Amino acid sequence: MSETIVKVIVCSGTACYVMGGSELLLLDDHLPANWKGRVELEGSPCLGYCKDKTSGKAPFALVDGELIPQATIPEILRKIGEKLGDR
Amino acid sequence: MNGDIFIEVGHFCCKKHGQGAEGDVFLSRKTDDGRIISVLSDGLGSGIKAGVLATLTATMAAKFVAEDMPPRKAARIIMKTLPVCKERGISYATFTLVDIDRQSKVKSIEYDNPAYLLFRHTSEPVLLEPLKRDLTVLRPLGSHHNSGDSTTRLSQAVMHYSEFFAKPGDRLVLFSDGVSQSGMGSRAYPLGWGIPRIQTYVMRLLQETSDISARQLAQAIVKEAQVHDAYQAKDDITCAVIYFRKPRRLLLITGPSIEHQRDTEMAQLFRDFQGTKILCGGTTASIIARELGRTIKVNLKNLDLRIPPASTMDGADLVTEGIITLGKVAELLESPSTTDRYRVNPATQLTELLLNSDCIEFVVGTKINEAHQDPTMPVELEIRRNIIKRIARLLEEKYLKEIQIRFI
Repeated sequence: MSETIVKVIVCSGTACYVMGGSELLLLDDHLPANWKGRVELEGSPCLGYCKDKTSGKAPFALVDGELIPQATIPEILRKIGEKLGDR
Repeated sequence: MNGDIFIEVGHFCCKKHGQGAEGDVFLSRKTDDGRIISVLSDGLGSGIKAGVLATLTATMAAKFVAEDMPPRKAARIIMKTLPVCKERGISYATFTLVDIDRQSKVKSIEYDNPAYLLFRHTSEPVLLEPLKRDLTVLRPLGSHHNSGDSTTRLSQAVMHYSEFFAKPGDRLVLFSDGVSQSGMGSRAYPLGWGIPRIQTYVMRLLQETSDISARQLAQAIVKEAQVHDAYQAKDDITCAVIYFRKPRRLLLITGPSIEHQRDTEMAQLFRDFQGTKILCGGTTASIIARELGRTIKVNLKNLDLRIPPASTMDGADLVTEGIITLGKVAELLESPSTTDRYRVNPATQLTELLLNSDCIEFVVGTKINEAHQDPTMPVELEIRRNIIKRIARLLEEKYLKEIQIRFI
């Protein structure tokens, strides 16, 4: 198993936060045991995606630089799985 | 602020055990000519009846003094106005009135409350007692109803008048008899806590924490009195502290400016400010960080899901999200006794910092965040300018802070 680390950035700007971003900051609690240590979670001040309609809707998260609009915990987990090659 | 002295007024009270309302009233206000008038009044008995007597007394006294009415006349009117207690046949409320002008001249009138304590800070705190002069007025003692004819007996009421010039570091401690009589009847304090012991207690606090704020000192005294009553206060316990001190300054920057060119100006303001510095808003923090070449890190420890997490940045005492946090701060300032006040989150931290400062400067960028105007967003997302105005008004009127707002 490769030891790649996936970096997840969750926007905690106002718009993201009220649209559900607050839950996303608890991502660590939802990680399966075998992923622990392989996912790095980081909060960020407003990333600015909310000001551009083409990016989609809040809340936003970045998984290894890939933007996820209307992010949810399952959606982020799915994306992490993809990155880790482990579904 | 009077000259380079800031006057912090703080109070704390606790109602008699089992009562629904406080019978002591403390109020403090700033007049148009820059004076600060504070009154502590203790109504006869306890509960709502005492509360009404005390409120009437305190409000009238403050108003009369603000209008420069001679104290003797003011006292006479108050005595005549108070409703007469049915059980005891007297109308009664004690008061301590303190009037501080722009030159920090303090004039005080005391009537039947425990005498105020004045602590002056030199190298060590010392207790001073200014000379007091007696003022005598007649007050009705009670009414006798004899076959429809009622006569009012009069008795003399003696008030004490004193005046002095306050120096930086002075603290004036006022309290109701609930403090000095706390613990009365207990084995430890058969005759109550008593003024000499209160003096010693305050002196020790001042020696330990020489910069204790008025609010904290008042709270510490009331809490100690509550302990003596075994947390079942036998009377209303109220303490107020007036602290003359060098102003503590705070700068709060929130919101990006409408013009990009002013970002540098905002960053310089932030960098050069002497005092506590706070940034509210992710975009604002990012701008300052970019201009000053610093990094921001969001703290993911101790999350409170109702308030977005705070961040850390070199040189900033607190970096928070913008409008949700500010909205909560306004709420906390409006109703400080909610349990939310005791949660640990950026909003309570910010509130605490604001209350611990005297001169607060707001720098408000007026750019509107279009993402917040989306109708699917909660309506609580107010426009920044409005929420800042609300917070500023509360801090100024309710907490007597010096406020400056600059829109940029």
